Amino acid sequence: MIRCDNLHVTFNHGLPTEKLALRGIDLTIPTGQFVTVIGSNGAGKSTLLNTIAGDIETTRGRIFFGDRDVTNLPATGRTKDIARVFQDPLAGTCGNLTVEENMALAYGRGQRGTLAFALNNKLRKVFKEQLSRLNLGLEDRLDAQMGLLSGGQRQSVSLLMSALQPSSILLLDEHTAALDPKTAALIMDISSQIIEEKKLTVMMVTHSMRQALDHGSRTIMLHEGKIIFDLEGVERSKYEVKDLLNLFAHSRNDGEELDDDKLLLDS
Amino acid sequence: MSLYAFLGTLEIGFIYGLVAMGVYLTFRILDFPDLTVDGSFTLGAAVTATLIVMGINPYLSTLLGASAAACAGLVTAWLNLRFNILHLLASILTMTALYTINLRVMGKPNVALIMEPTMLTPFLNLGIPAMYMKVIFVAVCAIIGGLLVAWFLYTQYGLAMRAVGSNKRMAQANGIVVNEKVYVGLALSNGLVGLAGALFAQTNGFADSTMGIGTIVVGLAAVIVGESLFATRSMLVIVMSCILGSILYRIAVSMALNTDFLGFQASDVNLLTAVLVALALVFPKLRSEYKAKKARGQEI
Repeated sequence: MIRCDNLHVTFNHGLPTEKLALRGIDLTIPTGQFVTVIGSNGAGKSTLLNTIAGDIETTRGRIFFGDRDVTNLPATGRTKDIARVFQDPLAGTCGNLTVEENMALAYGRGQRGTLAFALNNKLRKVFKEQLSRLNLGLEDRLDAQMGLLSGGQRQSVSLLMSALQPSSILLLDEHTAALDPKTAALIMDISSQIIEEKKLTVMMVTHSMRQALDHGSRTIMLHEGKIIFDLEGVERSKYEVKDLLNLFAHSRNDGEELDDDKLLLDS
Repeated sequence: MSLYAFLGTLEIGFIYGLVAMGVYLTFRILDFPDLTVDGSFTLGAAVTATLIVMGINPYLSTLLGASAAACAGLVTAWLNLRFNILHLLASILTMTALYTINLRVMGKPNVALIMEPTMLTPFLNLGIPAMYMKVIFVAVCAIIGGLLVAWFLYTQYGLAMRAVGSNKRMAQANGIVVNEKVYVGLALSNGLVGLAGALFAQTNGFADSTMGIGTIVVGLAAVIVGESLFATRSMLVIVMSCILGSILYRIAVSMALNTDFLGFQASDVNLLTAVLVALALVFPKLRSEYKAKKARGQEI
């Protein structure tokens, strides 16, 4: 379970460039729930995810995983519970290391590295098995340098890596945004499989309204650092993309035309 | 080149192979250009020589010398990580401070070890002539050092360190404590360089306050020469090619200095090294520019 209590994040506090990125987020996500997060650019979606992951310090408010208060725990300390996939396919993997080395790092996530060999044949077998799920032929390229793989392949591997260690929370930050539609669909498929299999608590930021409604069981929309609506269950199933767009236009409460092309993608 | 000169070249080559490994750890693995080594090479030599003269066991002295150098690395890492001083500048500050510290440690600009016992002493009465024994000894040290470094880079901890140098954000997302890896990496790197300084002092019979000047460039030259030999991802081969690169570099320099018609003097070695390293750094860029130009030419 993730619980955010009155979460505030302010960047550049006290400077002319001060930005109130999050202004009082109250959010409880029960164990096993899959929440999609939407909102325009600068609404605070990524900030919320990064704050939960521990990359960004909270200005005010508290974060709980289950009963544990993790507000003051640094990002590295939260990796036992959290797996992440970033938007940029280059961010989630090390280009200088091989596929198997990257996977070995993810396999040791949240544990202290020891002076035992990072790779062995038993692990290679596990990695091969996992990679073969992708049907990209990567299972035969364990020793290929990550930097030589395409963006889609790298993102696929990051996704598998996020599931190598048991974790309870998965944070997906627009993880299909930088991919072509076909690869994006494949990645989304595998994400759903993994989430189902491991019964993960998931937050997925997306720019695609379609994706937001098709996946998960709850959708929240952020605007200017606040949750402006929260859809769940039967009510959510009645919603169509155009309803979301309407809601979104309302949230700007001035009837202004949508100028964000990304919001209209796939809708 | 005479046999004697060749053995001398090999000996220096193996010693600077350790320096090259240290430089490889910072420049390539951690992506942290560390110039501390110019000071920590001398520090390793100065501490070891001073302790030996005081009558301390040479092996213990060497260990302490290398540890002192490792601490110098920690200072650089601390300046960079704690106070956000640019890594290059942090290392230059430590290096500058070390110049004074080295003089204080020795109490004078140089310490002679000619008549003192060294790590080599137990091996000198085995019947092998000293000039061969020295080379064998430093070769064994460099190779054992290389095996240990390669092993380290293959471990979970070493792999985490490589991830830190490659992609900090990814490393963090996988629970790797970035700063700790930088501290350990710099300590290890400078420890290796300090060990090289200690070996240099014992095989050459002195420690001198100016002996470290240019260490970083020589180490970098060895790394680059080694890298150009093998295109590989194997850590063992890469680390061993640091040693080989160091030896080849030394042979190239001594050939250049010994070839009369080129007219070089011993004092030209720093210019030669700088030009060699500059060329090695520039060459990949020039090649890719040339290739791009050629590709454009074909299109038109």
